[in-house]
Amino acid sequence: MSVASAATASSESGRTAPRVSPGLAVGLTCVLMLTVIYFFGDQDQALITQAVVSGLLLGGVYALISVGLTLIFGVLGIVNFAQGAMLTMAMYIVYALSTTGLPVYAATIVAVPLMFVFGMIVQSTLLTKLTISGSHEGPLLVTLGLSLLIVNVLLMIFGGRPLSVEVPVEGTVSIFGSVASWPRVLAFIGAAIVAVALKLVLERTPLGLSIRAVASNSEGAKLVGVDVGRVYAFTFGIGAACVAVAGGLMTPFTSLTPSVGEQFTILAFVIVVLGGLGSVIGAVVGGLVIGLVQTVGAIYLPGTGSLILVFAVFILVLFLRPEGLYGVRR
Amino acid sequence: MKKLVGALTAVAVMGAAACGSSTGSDDSGPIKIGAVHPETGALAGVGGLMNDGAAMAVADINAAGGIASLGGRPLELVSGDSQGKADVGRSEAQRLISSGAVALIGAYQSDVTQGVTSVAERARVPLVIDVAIDDQILDQGYRYSFRIQPDASMAGADGARALAAIAEQTGQAVNRVSYIHIEGAYGESAFHAFEKEARNEGISSVQGITYPATNFSDATTVVREAAVSNPDVIAATGYYPDSLLVARAIEQLNLNVKGVYGVANGGFDDSSFPGDAGTAGDGVLNANFHFDGTSERVNDIRARFQEQFGRPMETAAVLSYQAVEVIAAGLEEGTDTNTEALRDAIAALSIEDPLVANGGPIEFDETGQNKNALAIVMQVRDGAIEQVFPEQFATDAIEFPVGTGLETGL
Repeated sequence: MSVASAATASSESGRTAPRVSPGLAVGLTCVLMLTVIYFFGDQDQALITQAVVSGLLLGGVYALISVGLTLIFGVLGIVNFAQGAMLTMAMYIVYALSTTGLPVYAATIVAVPLMFVFGMIVQSTLLTKLTISGSHEGPLLVTLGLSLLIVNVLLMIFGGRPLSVEVPVEGTVSIFGSVASWPRVLAFIGAAIVAVALKLVLERTPLGLSIRAVASNSEGAKLVGVDVGRVYAFTFGIGAACVAVAGGLMTPFTSLTPSVGEQFTILAFVIVVLGGLGSVIGAVVGGLVIGLVQTVGAIYLPGTGSLILVFAVFILVLFLRPEGLYGVRR
Repeated sequence: MKKLVGALTAVAVMGAAACGSSTGSDDSGPIKIGAVHPETGALAGVGGLMNDGAAMAVADINAAGGIASLGGRPLELVSGDSQGKADVGRSEAQRLISSGAVALIGAYQSDVTQGVTSVAERARVPLVIDVAIDDQILDQGYRYSFRIQPDASMAGADGARALAAIAEQTGQAVNRVSYIHIEGAYGESAFHAFEKEARNEGISSVQGITYPATNFSDATTVVREAAVSNPDVIAATGYYPDSLLVARAIEQLNLNVKGVYGVANGGFDDSSFPGDAGTAGDGVLNANFHFDGTSERVNDIRARFQEQFGRPMETAAVLSYQAVEVIAAGLEEGTDTNTEALRDAIAALSIEDPLVANGGPIEFDETGQNKNALAIVMQVRDGAIEQVFPEQFATDAIEFPVGTGLETGL
C-alpha cells in the first residue's frame, strides 16, 4: 500500500469501483506470458527457466534500490538523483570495512546506520528548506550535485580501478534445474525482509504514522504537532538505509567502480513510476517485473533490445494506468 | 531540465576556454604532448593508469637528455579528461592542441578515439592511438592518425588462428564455439573477424550472443544461452566488470567445455582478474594485444611503474608509454616541432624492440595501422597472467583443455 494512500484510505473509500488487484493482474499476466514463451517460444526450456530465476533475483535487487527512492519521493516529493551515487557510497563503505577483516554481511549491518545518519544529515542540512518551500528544481539540483560530489570523492579516495570483496558464501543453489549463486539468493531474501520491515514500520509504528501523515498532508500534520522537519530527515535516512542494504548485499557479485551505481538510477526511476510513486509494494512488484522483462526479453532481443522492452512495458503500463500499478489516482 | 543542461554546458565551455588560454610551446621550452584519456567516469581506473604510463615515458625520456636532435629539449605531458564521452574527448583534444601540443595520444574507447582523430586531422596534428580497437577509426583515410595495437579485425583473426593452432598443438578438436560479446563496435568487429577466420581454420560453427553495454549486472542467462548449442569453447569479448560476470557465470553453471577463450577481452588478462575471479578465473585464456613479458626493458619499466605508482602497469599503460616513445622517435627524426614534418617522420618510423608483443618492428602502413601488430594468447595460471602462445612470447606452457571448475572434453 502506498505511503499516502494508507493515510487517505478512509477518504478514498467512497470511490468503490470494484477493480482487480494490480498485483494479481500483474502476476497473471506474467504467468500467462511465461506459459506462452515456454510452450510456443521456440527456445530451450532450461534456458527460459534460467532467465526467469535470474530475472527474479535481479528484480529483487532492483526492488531493494527502488523502495528507498519511492519512499523519499512519496513523503518528501524529492526526485533523488543521488540514489545511485548513495548506493555506490554504501558499497564502498562495505568494501572499506571488509578490508579491515569484517565479513561483507557484517559490514553491511554496520553500513546501514552510517548511511541512515548520512541521509538524515543531507536532508536536514541541504534539503529541508527547499522541501518545505515546495521547490522542485532546488532538491533536484542539490541531489544531482550531491551525486557528482560522492562519485568524485570516491574516485579520489579509492581510484577508478575495479575493486572486489572477499565473498564469505560461495557456491550455487539449484532452483528448478537452473543455477543461482548464493550471494544473489541472499540479496533477494534481504530485499524481501527489507520490504516487509519497511511496510511494518510504516503501518504499525508511531514513526510510520507520522510519516504517512506528513506524506498525506504536511500542513495538517504540522498543526497536530508532528515535527515535519524531523520526519523529513528520518524519511531520507530510511531511504539511504535501504540503499545501504542494497549496496551491501550487491557488493559480493559486483565490481566496484565509482560510477557503478549510476546505471541503476534510471532503472530505479522506471520501477518507482511503474509501481506507483510512493508505493513500497509497487516498487517491489515493479522491480521484479523489470528484472523478468530484462532477462527473459534478452533471449529474444539481445543486447540493448531487452532494455527497449523494459521501456516498452513501462510505457504500456503508464498508458493503461497513468498513476502506476499501486499509485494513488490524483 | 533545459535550463540545467544549458547551465552545465556554459560551465563546461567556460572551463575549457579558461584552460585553453595558456600559452603554446615556443622553440626553446618543453615540447608538449597531449594525452586524452578517461580520467573520470566508469573507466577512470584504466584512464589514470594510461596517463601515468605516458607521464613515466616523458620522465624517462627527459631523464635521458630529452630530444637530442632538438638540442635536448624536454617533453611535457599535458592531459585532458575525456570523461569517457566522445564529445568531451573532442573538445579536450581541441583544447590540448590550442595549448600548444605538437602531437596527441589517446583515447582508450573507440568512439572517443573516433572523435579525437577527426580533431587531429583538422588541426593537422599527429595522433598516436595507444588503445582503441575499432577498425573503422583508421578506415576514414585519415593522414594524421597512427595506431600501435592491432585493430579488432586483426585481434579477432589472430584469436581464431591461435585457437585453431592451440587445438591442433594439444590434439583437441574445437568445432563449435559460442561467442559472447558486448554490444557496440568493439565487440561486434572482434566477433565478426573471429567468425570469418574461424571458418577458414575449420571451426565449423560460431554462435554469437550479444549483451548490452549498460545495465548488465547478471551474466547467467547469456552464458546459459551460450551453452545451448553444446560448444567446445566459450569465447568472450568485453570490458572488465562484464567479463568478470561472464567468467563467474560459466563457473557457476559448471559447463562442459574445453576452455574459456577471450578475444581482445579487456578483463581476462588484467592483473586484478585472477584475484577477483578466484577459481572462476583458473585457466581462462585470452587472445589479446599485450606487453611483451619476455622483454627485459618491459619488465624494468613495469617494475619501476609498480614502485612509483603502487599499482601494476597494465597493457594499456604500456601502450601509452609506447605511444610517447613513438612521438619522441618522430621528433628525433624531424628538424623541429613542425607537426607536418612530425607526421611524415612518424609515418616512416621503424621501431625495433617494441614494448608490446609485435610481429616485428613497429611500422605503420598507409592507413596508419601498425602492420606488425599482433594478438598473443595469455592464460591465468596459478593466480597469475602468463603468456602461453605463440612459443616466442611464451612465459609458461599452455594448459588445454582446462581442468579446474570445468570438466574436460565432450
